[in-house]
Amino acid sequence: MADHMEAIKNAVIGGKHAEIKALVTQALDAGLDPNTIISDALIAAMDVVGKDFGSGKIFVPEMLVAALTMKFGLDIVKPRLAGGQIQSRGTVIMATVKGDLHDIGKNLVSMMLEGAGFKVLDLGVDLSVEKLIEQVKAIQPDILGLSALLTTTMPEMQKVIGELKTQGLRDKVKVLVGGAPLDRAFAEKIGADGYGTNAAEAVELARRFTGVKA
Amino acid sequence: MNLKPDFNRFLAAVRHQETDRVPLSEILIDYSIQSQFLGRTVTAGDLPAQVEFWSQAGYDYIPITVSMMSPGKVTEESKITRVLKEMVLREKPGTTDPKAWNLEFTSFIHERPDLDKFPWEAAADIDFTKLHAVKDLLPPGMKVIAISGKIFTLTWMLMGFNNFALKLVMDESLVAEVFERVATIQFKALETLFAMEHVAGVWAVDDIAFGTGPMISPAAFRKHVFHWYQKVADRCHDHNRIFLMHSDGDLSVLMEDLIAMGLDGIQPIDPSCMDMAKVKKQWGDRICLIGNVSNELLRSATTQEIEARVKELLRDAAPGGGFALGSGNSVPNWAKFENYMAMRAAGLKYGGYPIKLKS
Repeated sequence: MADHMEAIKNAVIGGKHAEIKALVTQALDAGLDPNTIISDALIAAMDVVGKDFGSGKIFVPEMLVAALTMKFGLDIVKPRLAGGQIQSRGTVIMATVKGDLHDIGKNLVSMMLEGAGFKVLDLGVDLSVEKLIEQVKAIQPDILGLSALLTTTMPEMQKVIGELKTQGLRDKVKVLVGGAPLDRAFAEKIGADGYGTNAAEAVELARRFTGVKA
Repeated sequence: MNLKPDFNRFLAAVRHQETDRVPLSEILIDYSIQSQFLGRTVTAGDLPAQVEFWSQAGYDYIPITVSMMSPGKVTEESKITRVLKEMVLREKPGTTDPKAWNLEFTSFIHERPDLDKFPWEAAADIDFTKLHAVKDLLPPGMKVIAISGKIFTLTWMLMGFNNFALKLVMDESLVAEVFERVATIQFKALETLFAMEHVAGVWAVDDIAFGTGPMISPAAFRKHVFHWYQKVADRCHDHNRIFLMHSDGDLSVLMEDLIAMGLDGIQPIDPSCMDMAKVKKQWGDRICLIGNVSNELLRSATTQEIEARVKELLRDAAPGGGFALGSGNSVPNWAKFENYMAMRAAGLKYGGYPIKLKS
């Protein structure tokens, strides 16, 4: 059992996308519990990947291939789960704020959150305050992740938080912000719940907000 | 303070020599800022006004873009966008959304068959008109630096960032081929540039790092990108031209590579993640440092704060040469005009050699 789990974990960490399906199939055929494979091998591997990315040991391409490898593994496990659904660790809405078309950072965070077991709804770029509020009302996420690359669009984040307060939604959703020009002081100033300097930090914050243990 | 353009002043800084003063340097200043400076409207098509601005404002060169793409954005009028529009309309007649042929929204090379469908020949048809036209407008002493040679950014934009990153690991030969095709086009343009005596250097505007570090591993940069830059540097030096580079982000782990490949100067030493004083201390004797007044300061600071920051930079980075003063990226339309003027004025006021500023 431990061999199967270790092999799956190492395949994800090493981005062995061509091997993962066979490894997961072998583990399932050997009688391993699908939920255990997800939590103790696939998600556990992405934890290592996130830490390696955060420490500069690996870079975006390696991280993305690991995330894709994990997804290939999940695709094999899913049909064996009761109801065919993975239990979500929380729902996150991700968006780049209005006036800003940059999405590389947001996409990386989305991918790492998915890898950590969160359900992510990526609304894309250039999202107005009104549209975001509408989506928060409709989806009722645990976390709202806002991204900005431009100093000129950063104030949009404050507008979103202000509108969440006005609409009585502020205590119903945690707001996580990130992007190159931001810093922790800005995040605190606008009343965000958290600020991540990279995708790995964003995952840690999301876990903290939803009470999920790493 | 001497405002007359003198490219030898900039050249001396690049070569770590002190002259009369620290040169001012930018890769781009928005036309709205140029207009306010001159007191009349400066447009993209008004080359005489642009030359007037760069020379009167105290710069020793005018930067002119001759690459496949404009720095940092793909404008509607750029050659590559026109070519892509033709291709999209050929494949999907009736498409009206400009995003469909804008590289900022749409990528074109996802799999190997896309490589040959892309209109490389047309994309390689770089427009040198502006570069030729500027020759007779330059005042004595002023030169042109060609903004050209973007390789990394153009490659990932053609492929889409996520796809590029995945393919770099999963189909490396495809990525290598896109790099090669892009670099070959940019490389060929150099020969035309070198035939123009008024072009004194090449400035590759190519972001290769995030605020947290390199966009891809240093090993991948060495394998796919840096050898091209080394060739550009070698060709520039063979023709007695300088080779400069712009990249945002934290370049710390790449600095030794950038120096080793023969880069003469690096801009802007991103103030959001790099400390100019530390960079100067560690690498400043081997590469010219250009920048790094934060754009956030240009947007929101007082003129007094701008002056104080300029004085710090001059104190830390200017002694001994190897430094040119400028913004932490470029001067955008959202920079306060008075802050741009304060940066420039402080550079001219306190940047005379020998630097007399003490900590």
